[in-house]
Amino acid sequence: MPQQPQAQPSPTPPKKKKIRVPRVVNGIEQMVEIEVDDVAGPGWGPHDKHTLLNHRITRVDGPLKVSGAAKYTYDVRLPNMLYGRVRRCPHAHAKIKKFDSSAAMRMPGVKAIIQGPLTELRFAGAPVAAVAATTPELAQDAARAIVVEYEVLPHVVTPDAAIKPNAPRVLPEPQPAPATGSPTPGTGGEDNLAAKGKQGDPQKVAAAFANCDAVVEAEYRTPRLHHCCLETHGMVVDFSGGETATIYATTQGTFTIPQDAARELGLQQSAVTATVQHMGGGFGSKFGIGIEGLLACRLSKETKSPVKLMLTRSDEFLMTGNRSGSWQKLKGGAKKDGTFVALQATQYRLGGVGQGSQAGQPYSVYRAGDFYREVYALHTNEDSAIAMRAPGHPQTSFAMESLLDELAYKIGMDPVAFRKKNMPDAMYHRQLDRAAREINWAKRNATPGGGSGPLKRGMGCAAGTWGGGGNDQCKVDVTVTRDGAVTVAVGTQDLGTGTRTFTRAIVAEELGLGIKDVVEQIGNSKLGGANSSGGSTTAASLSPSVKDAAYKARMELAAKFSPLLGNAKPEEIVFANGNVTAGGKSIAWKQACAALPPAGIVAHGVWRSDLQSRGVHGVVFAEVEVDVETGKVRPLKMLQVQDGGLPLNRLTMESQINGGMIQGLGMALFETRVMDADLGIQLNPSFMDYKLPGSLEMPEMIPLIDDEDKREVVIGIAEAAIIPAIGAIANAVFNACGARIRDLPITPDKVLMALATERRSA
Amino acid sequence: MSDEHEPKKKTDRHDPSRRKFLKGVGVAGAGAALVDHLIAPDARATTNKSIVAGQPVNGSVDVVLDVNGARRNVTVEPRTTLLNALRNHLEPAVTGPKLVCDMGSCGACTVLMDGKNVYSCLVLAVDAVGKKLTTVEGFGTAEKMSAVQAAFVEHDGLMCGFCTPGFVTTISAFLKKNANPTLDEVREACKGNFCRCGTYPRVFEAALAAAKAGRT
Repeated sequence: MPQQPQAQPSPTPPKKKKIRVPRVVNGIEQMVEIEVDDVAGPGWGPHDKHTLLNHRITRVDGPLKVSGAAKYTYDVRLPNMLYGRVRRCPHAHAKIKKFDSSAAMRMPGVKAIIQGPLTELRFAGAPVAAVAATTPELAQDAARAIVVEYEVLPHVVTPDAAIKPNAPRVLPEPQPAPATGSPTPGTGGEDNLAAKGKQGDPQKVAAAFANCDAVVEAEYRTPRLHHCCLETHGMVVDFSGGETATIYATTQGTFTIPQDAARELGLQQSAVTATVQHMGGGFGSKFGIGIEGLLACRLSKETKSPVKLMLTRSDEFLMTGNRSGSWQKLKGGAKKDGTFVALQATQYRLGGVGQGSQAGQPYSVYRAGDFYREVYALHTNEDSAIAMRAPGHPQTSFAMESLLDELAYKIGMDPVAFRKKNMPDAMYHRQLDRAAREINWAKRNATPGGGSGPLKRGMGCAAGTWGGGGNDQCKVDVTVTRDGAVTVAVGTQDLGTGTRTFTRAIVAEELGLGIKDVVEQIGNSKLGGANSSGGSTTAASLSPSVKDAAYKARMELAAKFSPLLGNAKPEEIVFANGNVTAGGKSIAWKQACAALPPAGIVAHGVWRSDLQSRGVHGVVFAEVEVDVETGKVRPLKMLQVQDGGLPLNRLTMESQINGGMIQGLGMALFETRVMDADLGIQLNPSFMDYKLPGSLEMPEMIPLIDDEDKREVVIGIAEAAIIPAIGAIANAVFNACGARIRDLPITPDKVLMALATERRSA
Repeated sequence: MSDEHEPKKKTDRHDPSRRKFLKGVGVAGAGAALVDHLIAPDARATTNKSIVAGQPVNGSVDVVLDVNGARRNVTVEPRTTLLNALRNHLEPAVTGPKLVCDMGSCGACTVLMDGKNVYSCLVLAVDAVGKKLTTVEGFGTAEKMSAVQAAFVEHDGLMCGFCTPGFVTTISAFLKKNANPTLDEVREACKGNFCRCGTYPRVFEAALAAAKAGRT
């Protein structure tokens, strides 16, 4: 290097501070303590002082995506590449008795068949084998030609049956440890119903109920849901038996891939590169290589050929996990003045063979005077629940928002006023007031079910909360070269959330350039490191490091440009509009950069905890129309007020809010995994039968960024965006027609049944 | 269990162009030779026999597809869908249309066939012979976007982008038929396209904006 930095007197080591940050493991947020430098540095500054951030920036990968030029994992095709296919178990619980792939192996184009790692399958859809062949069609033929004979075992797929004492056991019996005879930890052996914790004092709660003016006791259920990523799970393993491999993965965690893949391929971790340039949706379901990745690697290793194994749509429904269902028995009590004084909750997490997830009651937006809760995992012979956008929150929020609404109506109080009375955090009050104003809440249906004619309109509301804080795992380098080119290299991946765009915008704004003057490198495990994109942690993890790197680059450039600007003090040099300016002299960016050393400059960003935070709020108001003759619910309007500190990009943030509301709409009205209790299979593992919200069901969507939130920090909002939509729709249905549906999705049959029940009890 | 690759039931059709096509293709050697076909087309050694009308075609067949104005030679099985031919058999591949549901419900594979939007997962490649095919790549490039493509970017009518080629294709075809649509007509036009990220409201905005731009 021609210009080595001069030897500096060794600086005092920076002060350290300990902070708690989220770490996402398989999409589930866990808080850990880390130590970071306690130093001041660049701040974001007030929200109205930005030239690019907090503006509407069209996404930089948009032109590639609208023209079909964006290459997804599914689009990768390599020379001599084989296609993988999975054979699944058709039974809810079975042991493999016979596995014969000899005939399949003899079929044209078939290069390898491997048996899966499991011999006892505990849900229908569990993978038992995988095939590699020269075309997808031939791979499918061979997968079907494998002869598998099963010993079919008893199963249970509904929570109501699974909870019964003599129900078939879902998970294996605990294995006694040889020495002590006590169950060995980690065998997964537990009864179908496993206690997961309790909190509160049941006696105090019982006493509190005695002093309530209104008590509501009800059961709320939410179904198991599917992520429905349009790009199915899978990967392309580019390995031909050599010493290195490249994995094209559709993943939320680029850095979760190399270790797992290296193990399967028998390579060093450093010899495996994982890359994801564009990915077609994850929503919490794409961490690690997964069973499909394991099979793809093994097929590649056996054939010494690149293998592409992308799951089919039915594979995707049956073997890639789903959102935990829930069954919640709640009893809540309130005073006439609207104080929520008592709550008793029994919460079942419906996670299939997995543990499931469900936030504890009372949902943390609200304060209940006294509460007692018991939480259980209730197992069924279904694929494991995994993380899905805001794991555990929509379930808990829907039940609590419904219960609160019931209490509010029972004591004759405005549901908004009732909520505010029990929300300790004043930011919600402001958001509720704004949303109520925007949707004209005062004009809502005064009497649920009232009015003439079969079409009833109503409004409902709900609130949500999420962390969205970051951590120090993203490596960021900003490079500026003599030709004026600016590159920001980041370890993370862009799921379609707009990560590329805000990364560029931060650097461009800092250096006084336009979005097109910066290019990013992203989505490659060779770019250092990053946390997985889960738990809405990416923006708050990445953006502080990008800001820090861009700031350091600017400072270093200022020092280098100073001689060109009459030896102006570096801190007085202004970077704006593609120029560097000081003391009345202005030089164009490219001209200034020509004075850089041949290697240009590289600035390394350090994560700064003070540039991010955690804790977002958010409220949704919904208006629906219910046809009380057909039971059909038509969503008319959904409006969300969402805070998130500094909006990095208003355009993409609004899109995220829309997306959250629409997925919430799906959960509220349409989506459910339908199981056949006798056969133990899913009846709707396809886009034909699993109903997603579509263009005809779209209400008017109004995403509103809460600009009263003046916090000069970045917080992730993607998960927050989905949570309150569900309760808002359900409550709007009640306000419209006077029937309360406590079992999602709110389909016409349930509406008609609830209306009939109301009429009978009236 | 449902298997998504059940052979597609086809009724007897006597489309003249298809018959003409079938007469002209031979029966390639079964199965094993297909590998060689794909990997090293020059090494093909199978003898093409004339097809007997009414007899099923098996093995692989050579066809020519007209994709985005270019004649593309490709070897497919008769059961190969147009979508798989574009993505897995053409060299170089055309990957704008996406494989998502593979059963004609989501619209991510939408292409234009003689100007009409079709699900390419429901069309056999051999049935697309002689038809003018347009994929999303045919409307414009990242550098030179069509009005519809530009409107999608401008209005953020995309997030992950996997459904986007299908929406762009559907809307491009729709605006040709209806240059001045209402919001409800746009909704109706893209009811056969699914998005999971939740871009619908902005897809509608983009479509209306593109229509408006087209009129001015």
